[in-house]
Amino acid sequence: MINQALHFWELLWEMTEKELRARYKHTVFGFLWLVANPALQMLIIGFIFPLFFETQIEHYSFYLFTGLLAWNFFSLSLSKATPSIVFERSLVKKAMFPRAVIPLSIVMSNFINYTVALVIFLIPVLFLNTLSLKSCIFFLVGMTALVVLAAGISLLTSALNVRYRDINFFVQALLIIWFYATPIVYAPSQLPEALLWLWRFNPLTSVIQLMHHALIQAPLPDAILLSYNALIIVAVSVIGVYIFSKESKNFDDWL
Amino acid sequence: MKTYPTLAIQLNDISKKYEIHHDKPTLVERFSKEKNETFWALKNINLTINKGEKIGIIGSNGSGKTTLLKILAGITTPTSGDVHIQGRIVSLIDLGAGFHADLSGYQNIYLNAMLLGLSRKEINERVQQIITFADLKQFIDAPLFTYSNGMMLRLGFSIAVHAQPDILLLDENLSAGDNAFQKRAAERLRVFFRKELTIVVVSHNIAYIRKMCSRIIWIDKGSVLADGNHQVLHKYLKRK
Repeated sequence: MINQALHFWELLWEMTEKELRARYKHTVFGFLWLVANPALQMLIIGFIFPLFFETQIEHYSFYLFTGLLAWNFFSLSLSKATPSIVFERSLVKKAMFPRAVIPLSIVMSNFINYTVALVIFLIPVLFLNTLSLKSCIFFLVGMTALVVLAAGISLLTSALNVRYRDINFFVQALLIIWFYATPIVYAPSQLPEALLWLWRFNPLTSVIQLMHHALIQAPLPDAILLSYNALIIVAVSVIGVYIFSKESKNFDDWL
Repeated sequence: MKTYPTLAIQLNDISKKYEIHHDKPTLVERFSKEKNETFWALKNINLTINKGEKIGIIGSNGSGKTTLLKILAGITTPTSGDVHIQGRIVSLIDLGAGFHADLSGYQNIYLNAMLLGLSRKEINERVQQIITFADLKQFIDAPLFTYSNGMMLRLGFSIAVHAQPDILLLDENLSAGDNAFQKRAAERLRVFFRKELTIVVVSHNIAYIRKMCSRIIWIDKGSVLADGNHQVLHKYLKRK
């Protein structure tokens, strides 16, 4: 049992390394891209965006970047993990191993990208003087919820995509809508109050709000929203794990 | 269920149903079509294989041999029935599978061996042997897309035999690499056949099975038609 768990982690880590290596291999700058991409995005949002847009949100470029980093992690994970089992069919046909490492390694490699970008982003954030132990905890709670949600949905969609290849297109479409349904470019305070209940069904709302609160002291999500969102994250993850373990037994039949 | 120390493989009442999909499965089709056609690849297979047995599986095309092998290898799961397997099972059938073209040979050894169930520590101990046996010394740091087909198969074979399998699954057409490598591969397999290793061979090559296996299982239309010694081969040839 312990051996199996250990093997699962070793395999997951090996697959994550494979994911990262394959992404940056044969590029001249290699792992430098890991840093360059978010840094470039940060420069544009920090210096060029404020020239064109005026908003009431305080520290808007920080606000925007906090949400965008989390969103990039989430949407990249989901859009790459969903077709991953179909792409890696030769692995599935090779041997018996825990299939979950295929989508989870994609989530994990994106998470490493995310963390690197976050560390770079934290340098300017330090100058805002908003960080404290409490805000770190809020951020970690939000980040954990984000990773759990990304992993749970990835398990669900990657498993279903083996049998129903439409899922991949569905996820692409969903992600476009989901971006605008999440308070990344806007703040919940700008929304009409009568419609606010709708955001209870988007679990990313609390996640992003927790992060905003942690980094730039934006208001915390209210208790009802938070509990709705938490419930959805737990439910989706449980369903994801269940469907994946059920479907993974017969992946080979559909590949 | 009691498991005996000598038991390697036990299949209890295994059946496997496939849905026949004529085209790519999509959601719309799923709902528009009334009921999928199904096909039983295996029906109520009971099989007990002890440690050290050398089994030859014969049968015509479409008899269910491949499905049986896939179930033994854990690649797919039976629709009903239980599978009990003692020890590590390694398949030599799809040697080229499971490699990543962008990674080096060295990195692929780790990935591939881990998929077979080895731990990082075990691989560290064996990686040099694997490279030497595959005869890939100067190419081991090159990405796999620069490898020839033969080199890839050599690497796959070398990883599989160094995985210290308890149960080996193979078929007769092991066409890995050049003559020199084929000789070494055949020699390595002969060593395995002499050892206390459970081996399941699926083949149409009756001569090979006669030479290598002591127990023959004849599968026809998803059921075991005969299970015994070399006499099964005679029956099988006569029927043909």
